[in-house]
Amino acid sequence: MTGRAEFLERIRREVSKTPGLFGASTATRPADPATAAETVRRELAERWPQALERFRGEFERVAGVFHRVPDLAAVPAAIGAIAREHGALRAVTWDPAALGFDAAPALTREGLEVVAARAGQEDEAARLRHREQAARAQLGVTGADLVLAETGTLILLSGSGRPRSTSLLPDVHVAVFGRDRLVETLEQVGVMLEALHVDPDRAMSGAMINFITGPSRTADIELTLTRGVHGPKEVHAIFVEAP
Amino acid sequence: MSDALLRTPFPERAGAALKDKFLQEALKIATTKFIDLRKESFAGFPQGEALRDRARAIKEATLQHLDVHLERLADNVERLGGQVHWATTAGEAREMVLRLCRDRGVRMAVKSKSMATEEIDLNEALEHAGVTPVETDLGEYIIQLAHEKPSHIIAPAIHKTKGQVAELFSRELHGEFPADPEVLTAVARKALREKFLQADMGITGANFAVADTGTVVLVTNEGNGRMVTSLPRIHVALIGVEKVIPSMTDLVVFLAILARSATGQKLSSYTTLVRGPRRAGELEGPEELHLILLDNGRSRQIASTLREALYCLRCGACLNVCPVYRQIGGHAYGYTYPGPIGILLTAMLKGNESVRELAHASSLCGACKDVCPVRIDIPRMLVELREHLDREKIAPWTERVVFKALRRLLLSPTAYRLSATVGRLAQRPFIRDGRLRGLPLVFGQWTKTRDLPPVAARTFRERWKELR
Repeated sequence: MTGRAEFLERIRREVSKTPGLFGASTATRPADPATAAETVRRELAERWPQALERFRGEFERVAGVFHRVPDLAAVPAAIGAIAREHGALRAVTWDPAALGFDAAPALTREGLEVVAARAGQEDEAARLRHREQAARAQLGVTGADLVLAETGTLILLSGSGRPRSTSLLPDVHVAVFGRDRLVETLEQVGVMLEALHVDPDRAMSGAMINFITGPSRTADIELTLTRGVHGPKEVHAIFVEAP
Repeated sequence: MSDALLRTPFPERAGAALKDKFLQEALKIATTKFIDLRKESFAGFPQGEALRDRARAIKEATLQHLDVHLERLADNVERLGGQVHWATTAGEAREMVLRLCRDRGVRMAVKSKSMATEEIDLNEALEHAGVTPVETDLGEYIIQLAHEKPSHIIAPAIHKTKGQVAELFSRELHGEFPADPEVLTAVARKALREKFLQADMGITGANFAVADTGTVVLVTNEGNGRMVTSLPRIHVALIGVEKVIPSMTDLVVFLAILARSATGQKLSSYTTLVRGPRRAGELEGPEELHLILLDNGRSRQIASTLREALYCLRCGACLNVCPVYRQIGGHAYGYTYPGPIGILLTAMLKGNESVRELAHASSLCGACKDVCPVRIDIPRMLVELREHLDREKIAPWTERVVFKALRRLLLSPTAYRLSATVGRLAQRPFIRDGRLRGLPLVFGQWTKTRDLPPVAARTFRERWKELR
């Protein structure tokens, strides 16, 4: 087996042999990512209506279903309507703290059996139980940490109370977000990711970041587009107007 | 690819593909569709050209300090609790995975599509060691059930009809399934969902690895990449050393052009950033993450002919536009990586000897270079490769003699002038309908499948004297 030192030494040797190098540089990282991220957020505080329109257009182009509700109180009814449409009986959600609201009571009234993930749960028994619940649920309710207009993409960070499977195992994924989550371009996402990486509070929060652009899809059989291969067959985004 | 197949000479492999009517139809439909989707997606994206330049520069700059970036990547993966392994050869990489399986009692591993694992023939090694590898990308799953190899980098089963898939699923999964892609996809979803939930290990490649943050990046459409990195208790990511990029700022440059080049999407359905194993407080995710950095002949090319091939993003765009690939498909190439870039990657991984025939499976039309998201100069490298084959005496002697003679001819004005005169006379018996056909001797190899314009009655040089 090759050791690290030996492996890197070989690479170093080859790199130093390279003839006729020309000037090339990588993309310029923001010198102060936190400030750069703040600037992006400030700009978007003004421009969010345009960003939202663009998101809606792109999200629908990738077969996403867009909803708009006046405030958080109206969210459960919107989710209830989606559930009824699918005959869904069971839902899993992120921890109310991660979601920004407690969906369970209202959804239960809507006739759904709801399991909310709890922050701090991390033992093996809880893990297996939750996986089982998520695999049986038809509906998964999450928030979104960034909502990217340019491509119609929902960006979710995993972490405590934010299981990875909520947006993956159920047939239908519903993400709820407000205006403060909108960004316009991939470039801005780059800035946000740089900022996340240097933020001591958030850098170690969860190990996975998922960019979700529409439902799971494939065209592997005769290039026929088919939705819902492994992940959700449908993705809904509920925009909450009240800041 | 099986040795039996490789023992068949390339012209025969290609000939068989040309006679396969279904393959011809499937290739035409698939490659044309991919070309249109790509074109459409870049047409509405004016900044795309600048981003391609940017991406190319990032790849080049990263290669110039590859050792530094790899070290940084390894440090950061370890800081996040992952383990890094260094594999010089395919054999070492296989052994690392097998040892992990043995030590951790792994019986089944779910895999998301990875050309790197194809490259090292990992599935065969796992099976041999009693570990069941399950391919979970639908296309890969189909060809695994059929005991075949991928025929396209991003659409591995494009050579199969829905009828063939229905038959295959009915036989292997014990049922009666109609030839309906929707139904067949649902069948695979159900069968594979069980595997995701049971498997002990998830094996992936990566599209990128970000040095700054120790992040492994997977781009998929089906969601299988998310499954295998979220559910099993161990995640093994096997990546070629050239996959490293410096920062998140660099990453978004690549993301903006990768899916557009591959499938014409703005982004694939899922881009998954894996930052080490499960964190404290996290309910799900693997407890162990192993990153295997694979060299397997790559570093040899850093200062050599095929350097630019190390920029490759594995998007498949060059396959779709290649007039040779469009005719013969992926299997006829005979190795893991088909198409124009595949010839170069094969030479890189298996040595120049392995592409003595394939190096000529290109018309050098340059379409591949035009669509490559990082503008890899594939035709230039193919020409250089042919030159190497000649110099290393790997090329057949007839070819070498002809090229040597041609070199003399082209270097001497007198010989060149004389050759025109001789050619004009000698060609007479072989001109039919104004074209050269059925030449004798070694020249016949050319005219067997193509014709040539005859040497003009008066050459340009002769006319030039009068014109001035």
